[in-house]
Amino acid sequence: MTFSAPASAPRRRRTSARRSKLIFGLLRGVFLSLVSLIVIIPIAYMVLASFKTVPEFFGNPYGLPSTWAWDNYTRAWQDAHISITLPNTIIVTALSVVASTFLAALIAYGISRKEKPFAMGLYTLFVAGLLVPINMIALPLFFLIKWLGLFGTLFALILPYTAIGLPLGVLVLTPIAATLPRDLVSAAQVDGANEWQIFWRVVLPLMKPGLISVMILNGVWMWNEFFIPLIIAFKPESQTMPVGIVAFIGAYSTEWGLVFASVVVSTGPVVFAYLLMTRQFQSGLTAGAIKG
Amino acid sequence: MADSSVPVRLASAAPNARVRRVPSKAMLRYGHLWFVLPGLVFFFSVMIFPAIFALGISLTNWSGLGTNFQFVGLDNFTNALSHWPFYRAAINNFYIFISILIFQHTVGLFIAVQLNEKPRFMQFYRTVLFLPVIISLVSTGFIWTLMLSSNIGFLNPMLEDIGLGFLARNWLSDTATALPTVIAVTAWNSLGWSVVLYLAGLQNIPEELKQAAQIDGANGWQIFWRVIFPLLSPSFTSLTVLTFIGTFRTFDVVYVLTGPLGSPAYRTDVLGTLIYRTAFGGSGFSNSDIRMSFAIAMALILFFAMALICWGMIVVLRKREIQS
Repeated sequence: MTFSAPASAPRRRRTSARRSKLIFGLLRGVFLSLVSLIVIIPIAYMVLASFKTVPEFFGNPYGLPSTWAWDNYTRAWQDAHISITLPNTIIVTALSVVASTFLAALIAYGISRKEKPFAMGLYTLFVAGLLVPINMIALPLFFLIKWLGLFGTLFALILPYTAIGLPLGVLVLTPIAATLPRDLVSAAQVDGANEWQIFWRVVLPLMKPGLISVMILNGVWMWNEFFIPLIIAFKPESQTMPVGIVAFIGAYSTEWGLVFASVVVSTGPVVFAYLLMTRQFQSGLTAGAIKG
Repeated sequence: MADSSVPVRLASAAPNARVRRVPSKAMLRYGHLWFVLPGLVFFFSVMIFPAIFALGISLTNWSGLGTNFQFVGLDNFTNALSHWPFYRAAINNFYIFISILIFQHTVGLFIAVQLNEKPRFMQFYRTVLFLPVIISLVSTGFIWTLMLSSNIGFLNPMLEDIGLGFLARNWLSDTATALPTVIAVTAWNSLGWSVVLYLAGLQNIPEELKQAAQIDGANGWQIFWRVIFPLLSPSFTSLTVLTFIGTFRTFDVVYVLTGPLGSPAYRTDVLGTLIYRTAFGGSGFSNSDIRMSFAIAMALILFFAMALICWGMIVVLRKREIQS
């Protein structure tokens, strides 16, 4: 009996600790679910809205649509020029991402050895490009593109995107290129590979994780970019989706269903890619953030 | 394994290859610059050359249209510095920056700490909370235009139905709520950054440190502020700089939510919209109001101020990192 008292106290303490742990766990779950709801509800609400007709917006603000207005999408495809701006966005993003990542990888490999002349200077030059505000260079860029005869083509966007994507690429890839094992490079040299072959067959495959980060990092902003096309692309033929939607809303400001259908189409692909590769997106985007 | 196969493949091709020239001295010393050249040409023509050109324009009184212009020296810069809307916009940017900064370092950090306890469905929470970062600011703007709309929205009818109808208002056209609403939308869009950055920082902290502090008799609160928080300073630094750059470049959200004029009554006017409007003319602005050179001067001032502040922040915050 005398021994049981001290033995039961810790047990009681343990059960109360377990109970408080349970309560905290429950509270934590409730809190996190609430925060998640704040994120999900607006997105879900907009997806619902994209299936509603105009009268239903007023009569039935937060219920399910009584009839699903699929023709919001078919009409958005035509009237909001999604049929033109969606392929544009895909082409512009794909070409700019590939070009910018490839050029950045070349630069990163070139300047990765600090002892080489100009390496540090070039690195600083490229990284300083991160701070250049786009609205400062937008107008000279506009004239440059007109002068090159690219105005009204998709290259009017691809060119600036590729250049603006370079600083981030150099920032992320240079440290990776600097830590590549030099033995592999010299082994390839002994085997008779020229500089180009070394880069293409040895260096590039080794940088693959970094390249994926850079592609995600640049791909997301290029897909979403609004300011540059707002200034440079005036017609649907050369516009990407974000600007296309804003231009459309200016023309038909009451066609809310069409606008939200367009927003869903423009957001869908990125969200889909993100859900498939959540890890890579989170680590890729934060890799750029931490180094910046 | 995949990597080791590469030299082998090259070796098998070697017998066919020509006898290799010994690279010249210059090639050894400057050969790496060939790799930089294509990117550099690109970078120079699309970023550096326009930037220098912009600097040139800022010294003239060119409006952006026509060919009439005169050299006016630094007039645009001195005018910008005594231009009230410039300060008004900068102050709005500053409000956005401070609010988002506090929000990231409190709510964001708190959520990250909760997620670090590895609750059930953690992967789900993490995925959902980062989702708005992926969504464009234009889409975010439309999502919230819809949510907050006075007649087709979600929030106002909701408030009325739960008996809080007196709180309902025209969030985006009320002068008192317009800027806070823009801030809230920005916070919604950027919360994911702080959650993921802080969570990454928390996961890097070795468990032994916490246990050691526990053995020394520290309570949960002390462990957090004395042990964990100082170790999170790299996350703190990058998040602060990131927030600074992001909020002082705010444009898309304001353009979609309240328009290029920063309505109502310029309450949501930020540097991004002010410079855009001055350079290209917004809705309701006639061509005569466009002053390209003046806009570029404002953009340049912003650029130098931001570069300076960023540099200062990094120096100060890095020093703090080392001390702790």
